[in-house]
Amino acid sequence: MNMATTSITRQPRAFSARWRVVDIVVASVIGVASGVIFWAWGLAWTPLSAALAFAPGLAGLLAGGWLFAGVLGGIVIRKPGAALFTEVVAAVVSMLVGTQWGFSTLIWGVVEGLGAELVLAAFLYSNWRLGVVLLSGAGAGVAVGLLDTNFTDYAALDFGFKAVYFVSAVASGIVIAGLLSWLAARGLARAGALSRFASGRLAAVDGESEPVRSDSGTEATSTP
Amino acid sequence: MSLITPEIRASTIASVNPVAKLIAAILLALVLLLSIDWASALVALVLEALLLPFAGLAARQFWLRTAPLWFAAPLACLTTVLYGRDSGDLLWQAGFVSVTEGSVSLGVAIGVRILAIGLPGIVLFATTDPTDLADGLGQVLRLPSRFVIGGLAGLRLVGLFIEDWRFLALARRARGVGDSNLVSRIAGQGFSLLVLSVRRGSKLATAMEAKGFGSRRERTWARESTFGRREWTLVAIAVVIAVLAVTLAVALGTWKFVLS
Repeated sequence: MNMATTSITRQPRAFSARWRVVDIVVASVIGVASGVIFWAWGLAWTPLSAALAFAPGLAGLLAGGWLFAGVLGGIVIRKPGAALFTEVVAAVVSMLVGTQWGFSTLIWGVVEGLGAELVLAAFLYSNWRLGVVLLSGAGAGVAVGLLDTNFTDYAALDFGFKAVYFVSAVASGIVIAGLLSWLAARGLARAGALSRFASGRLAAVDGESEPVRSDSGTEATSTP
Repeated sequence: MSLITPEIRASTIASVNPVAKLIAAILLALVLLLSIDWASALVALVLEALLLPFAGLAARQFWLRTAPLWFAAPLACLTTVLYGRDSGDLLWQAGFVSVTEGSVSLGVAIGVRILAIGLPGIVLFATTDPTDLADGLGQVLRLPSRFVIGGLAGLRLVGLFIEDWRFLALARRARGVGDSNLVSRIAGQGFSLLVLSVRRGSKLATAMEAKGFGSRRERTWARESTFGRREWTLVAIAVVIAVLAVTLAVALGTWKFVLS
């Protein structure tokens, strides 16, 4: 039994930059699902930011709700451009349903996606540990912080408020976009939903380097 | 589902290639984003309002879809009046909150600007069928067809996701899971939906590949997407609105570049 399982277990393939069909479809599925959440978050944002209006700048803490799609898509698909593609699809979907920001939603999506993408690219699409994922979330946070404090209503605020906004946007990117996406991707891998992806397969192969995911591997081999 | 795939009525705008709408709306949004002043935003808003009857959007759909704008504009206006960059005479002060002539005019500008940027995008998109948009992106803009069609396939699954969500709720209820509080219920159910949707996506990809999708051959298109006179007219209208808004704002001396 043990031998049979090990012979079935594939070695991790050499990294290929070409997207397979399943990469494209699952990236857009994640994008579409996130887009609906973006839209709902946009509705919730108005009263939430109004509540935070008495602590100006802290509204940046809410920005992370629009940043997780890119990071999640990036770490699940693990292809160049995955973070950008997923974030853009999500932005377009929320725009299709109708947000208060109209077409600027698309521009924001592109820049936020690039923020997350650049970090993953800087690690040559080969490091998917928690630290890198958090950094990727921070990258998206920096992107949205720069956009919001220069081109939105917040551009009219005093410098101090803008600084607070920028820092809280980055913090929100790290926690909501980085940590939550990492947890979601790990959960997906554990549930076996990522069996066609390196992000789900590698978990079984090099269980030692990523102890949290090793249980799915041992489960398969320890049932003789 | 009704929000994602709206009932699109035959109208002048509905028959225009979505790529032209995309270009027109992005152009307007980009130009209006460059400045925070009441004049450019107001000029654009008035001109857009004049064109609204041609959009062929039913009144109910219009108010439903633009509702977020009507909430956001006054709120953003209020926030800016209270915390915006101060200048001119002081009108009212309490703690670090100060209302000045400068922040009031900024607030008005912000409110109008949100409407002017938001309305054309929402209205133009509300009259767009996602399939037409994909056809246009693939044929007119020549984006990679695998990505365009793959994206459309994902979008078409939304109806199923909504059904899944309902069934998940029923199943969890029957099992007595997650009745304790709203947050954990939504989080748990949301994650289940994510797992389901990724599985469904993988299966759909296999089915698409089995039908020959994603081969290296050049793709042919069933529905032809053309870019003709009507499309250029729409883009030209957007250019005229943008130029008029900027010219009048500069002439009135209100134009204020965001980065300066």
